[in-house]
Amino acid sequence: MPFKTIYLLAILLSAMGILATTFTTNATLRSTTSAAESATDAPVKKDSATSVKAFANVYKVLMSPRCMNCHPAGDVPLQGDDSHLHTMAPRRGTDGKGLYAMKCSNCHQPTNTPGLHTPPGNPNWHLPPAAMKMVFEGRTPHQLAKQLADPKQNGGKNMEQLLEHANDELVLAGWNPGEGRTLPPMSHAEFAKAWTTWIKAGAYAPKP
Amino acid sequence: MTVSRRNFLKISGMAGAVFSLGFYVPKHGEGAKIVKAAEAENFGVEMNAWIHIDTSGKVTIFSHRAEMGQGVYQAIPQMVAEELEVNLDEVNIVFAKGDQKKYGNQITGGSSTVRGSYKNLLNLSATAREMLIQAAAANWNVAKADCYAEAGHVIHKPSGKKANYGELVVDASKLETPKNVVLKKRSEYKLIGKPMLRQDTKLKTNGTATFGLDKQIPGMLYAAVERNPRLRGKVKSFDDSAARKIPGVKYVVKTRMGVFNTYREGVAVVADSTWAALQGKKALKVVWDDSGFEHLSTDEIYKRQREALQTQEGLSFKKQGDPAAIIAQAPKKLDVMYETPYQYHSCMEPLNCVAHYQPDKLEIWGPIQAPDWVQDYISKEMNIPREKVIVNMTFLGGGFGRKAFMDYPHEASVISKEVGAPIQVIWTREDDATQGPYRPGITYRCEGVVDNGEISAFKVKLAGQNVSHWQGGKKDAPNRSASEGFLKPYFDTIKNLSIQDVPFETPIPTMWWRSVYASTNGFAYESFLDELAVEAGKDPLTFRREHLKEERLNKLIDKMEDVSGWKNRKAKEGYGTAITECFASTVGQVVKVSRTADGKLKIDHVWAVMDCGWYVNPDTIKAQIEGSIVMALGAATHHQVTFKDGIPVDKNFYSYQLPRITDIPPIDIYIMENDADAGGVGEPGLPAFAPALTNAIFDLTGKRIRKLPFDMATV
Amino acid sequence: MAIIKCNINGREQSLDVDPQMPLLWAIRDVVGLKGTKYGCGVAQCGACTVHLNGEAVRSCVTKVSRISGQKVVTIEGLSANNDHPVQRAWQEIDVPQCGYCHSGQIMSAAVLLRENPNPTDEDIDTAMAGNICRCGTYLRIRKAIHLAAGMDRKVGRNE
Repeated sequence: MPFKTIYLLAILLSAMGILATTFTTNATLRSTTSAAESATDAPVKKDSATSVKAFANVYKVLMSPRCMNCHPAGDVPLQGDDSHLHTMAPRRGTDGKGLYAMKCSNCHQPTNTPGLHTPPGNPNWHLPPAAMKMVFEGRTPHQLAKQLADPKQNGGKNMEQLLEHANDELVLAGWNPGEGRTLPPMSHAEFAKAWTTWIKAGAYAPKP
Repeated sequence: MTVSRRNFLKISGMAGAVFSLGFYVPKHGEGAKIVKAAEAENFGVEMNAWIHIDTSGKVTIFSHRAEMGQGVYQAIPQMVAEELEVNLDEVNIVFAKGDQKKYGNQITGGSSTVRGSYKNLLNLSATAREMLIQAAAANWNVAKADCYAEAGHVIHKPSGKKANYGELVVDASKLETPKNVVLKKRSEYKLIGKPMLRQDTKLKTNGTATFGLDKQIPGMLYAAVERNPRLRGKVKSFDDSAARKIPGVKYVVKTRMGVFNTYREGVAVVADSTWAALQGKKALKVVWDDSGFEHLSTDEIYKRQREALQTQEGLSFKKQGDPAAIIAQAPKKLDVMYETPYQYHSCMEPLNCVAHYQPDKLEIWGPIQAPDWVQDYISKEMNIPREKVIVNMTFLGGGFGRKAFMDYPHEASVISKEVGAPIQVIWTREDDATQGPYRPGITYRCEGVVDNGEISAFKVKLAGQNVSHWQGGKKDAPNRSASEGFLKPYFDTIKNLSIQDVPFETPIPTMWWRSVYASTNGFAYESFLDELAVEAGKDPLTFRREHLKEERLNKLIDKMEDVSGWKNRKAKEGYGTAITECFASTVGQVVKVSRTADGKLKIDHVWAVMDCGWYVNPDTIKAQIEGSIVMALGAATHHQVTFKDGIPVDKNFYSYQLPRITDIPPIDIYIMENDADAGGVGEPGLPAFAPALTNAIFDLTGKRIRKLPFDMATV
Repeated sequence: MAIIKCNINGREQSLDVDPQMPLLWAIRDVVGLKGTKYGCGVAQCGACTVHLNGEAVRSCVTKVSRISGQKVVTIEGLSANNDHPVQRAWQEIDVPQCGYCHSGQIMSAAVLLRENPNPTDEDIDTAMAGNICRCGTYLRIRKAIHLAAGMDRKVGRNE
């Protein structure tokens, strides 16, 4: 497969048509942090080498249990630092918020529950919805980069929204995972920098 | 003779009871004697107060056993109502208070509630009925033979005259108790043997059943206790400054409880809410003294067991012929080890107990399997006269052996005395999971020889803790449960057989767990029989049948073959079987496994056939076997207690994972019909499951699983 | 301490409690409703399940502050006469053994049936996998939920 992709253009074009679609994940676009915003304002300078290099760090974070566990390949979230299938097999449901008596927020409270092995918390705890599962588990760097940059697969996010997503409340929750859980492999600031660089440099995907 | 009203009420335990009939067993091994309450004092004994009928005809039965899910709440009234001829819904059941003198052994254990008392109960109920009939016949001046009892009334057949039991109780109570009352035939039963709904279910669907944790008495405070994580030892020092600052915390006191022949200390935080007590407990800093107790880890325990089995012959439990000689000379022999884990009871209701110590008495309420033991033990430990220790049983949120133990009521009593207030001790799930006592983990070495399709030598050695040692059992005697679970008729056909107990001790407190040694023995013995059958080139059920020359067992095997489609199965299709016996009942199981499209092992079906002889309620039996199989499934494939540096590792359900609804295969249960003496029901369904499952896995995959638990996903 | 105003089983309540106290202990020790059970304290077993605005929350990890101004229904308030279809089905099948977990089981099953009146075995497994039963009554739970699904729902409910 030739490595000639113009993701940025694709994002911009398709964003026009898809932006209006509101996925539940978009509702989370309310937090603001200066790092990403100032990065968003900076001029775009496309550079595939810089972009791909930055994505290596993005990938490390996204494939860490704190991110991947809620982006599973199946309909059951993963759990723990070993990313085993979530005990009691809660299912995604159409909106990603669980099903019946097993909705995420039945156990996952607005904030972390104190103690080891207790449910971590966030007001908006959920998986991606069934219509767009945004799977991380099992994705190669190439696949994941392509998927992230594709509004048809990334929750309908245009570049700007994608940049902002680094500061989404639920993404930030990965760095406040509750007692006994390892943090993603770098700080949030480092991640935000890598994320921004990857996107602004062209959101190139590494070679397959 | 006359009995004062005061005495009478004291004996009967309730006001307004006029006709009160009970039985007592004069001496161990002697037949029960039925007496009227009023006569009991003349015998110099307190009778086992069982049945009371008042002048309104209301029937009350005192149950001396605990209800922990096994159905006694329903089984005892069902038996009494049958012979007494009253409607089941007109019978009230009351849990009697703990009193060994009055009720005899009250331990709810050994699957003994029905089998231990049913003959006496039936006889007692029929005697009461006959006395009521006799009273009516005398009143009406008619022949007793022309009268019969039905639905709480005596009826004179020729005239149709009818009297409510309530009208007859005064006269009946004056009659001599008749001897040799004729009991109903099985074919005449209206209630016994029928699937009856349980009387306690409605209390359990709207939250009104009072479990131990739900008990509340005026002025009660809540206590949470920090105990030594290493299962033994003392408090060296503690810092309660942070705990005392938590709003609601009233007292912090050192406490202790008896664990068999040792004591364990702890620090109790007593507060005005459970939450405050739990927070206070977390804020404690305790320094422990556990010197003298070895800090063992699981790997070390099993390494020592294996070494002991390789190097020691141990104590002889049974020996016939000379298996060792045959094994030594045989050109081909099997010599394998089976390993079973320590297990935790994991009742859904964690341990708890309410105690109110007062200057003149100590009253206890809790989920208690053995109220008489609690009464006896605490009376001695705290130096309170036995009759001043009042033990009340609540519903039990599970028991499985753990709640037949005196540590938690003892601890509650010590704390109540210490703080001078009624308190409820609550054990957190973490306390419950990490404090023991546990089912002992055992390793088995099995050696055997097959000759001409038959077992010519059979030698089993086991190394594991003997639970009786914690209760003063002799250490130079073999474990008397060394073959529990194994069918005794095998001893008739296997001429060269030995079973030896290789002594093995650790500081880990151990005790009974549902089906006790059968739960581990069953896996070893029945897996080994399967291996011998394979060695003999025989069908596993045929092989067992050929070694079991007993008609009742052969009928059980017929039934197993019939219901599971055993004879029509294809080679290596994934069928396995096991048959075990404990508490006087035999259960045979057939398990069918397969591989799913993604290569994972799946249990397709379980068939269980129970032979428990005479029985009361088939629906209760089925429920107990379903539950036993689920519990066995968990112990075989989900969870185990492991130790690291003397501390139990798994603290809650996130790692000690119990089976969930998603894990449960279809289970079909069949009950053999015969008139043999009643056997136990609550436990015998458990031991056969694990070996039937692993034998099925061998059939499908050729892989022999000799260590529990194992992970179905990785076989 | 704080005053938490809420509605429990149709009654307005004003609870003077530590806002950090888990709802479970507030319901049991402060309100005095003992039908909701403690099993694990970490949302593993479901014995403490209550309805918070109709959802089957695990009260052992829910801070009581979360229910301020909200509606809570416990097992005692599920129906007026122990006759919610799930309760009736539980009684008819004789589901409970020890019974300790069944307050939570029933509360979970009630949410399932409200959202899916005709659940398959798989739906039932999905909904009920968060509720542990040590007595192993799972097969009867499944059977009873199917039975309840076929029952007349016109009963005195408090929801």
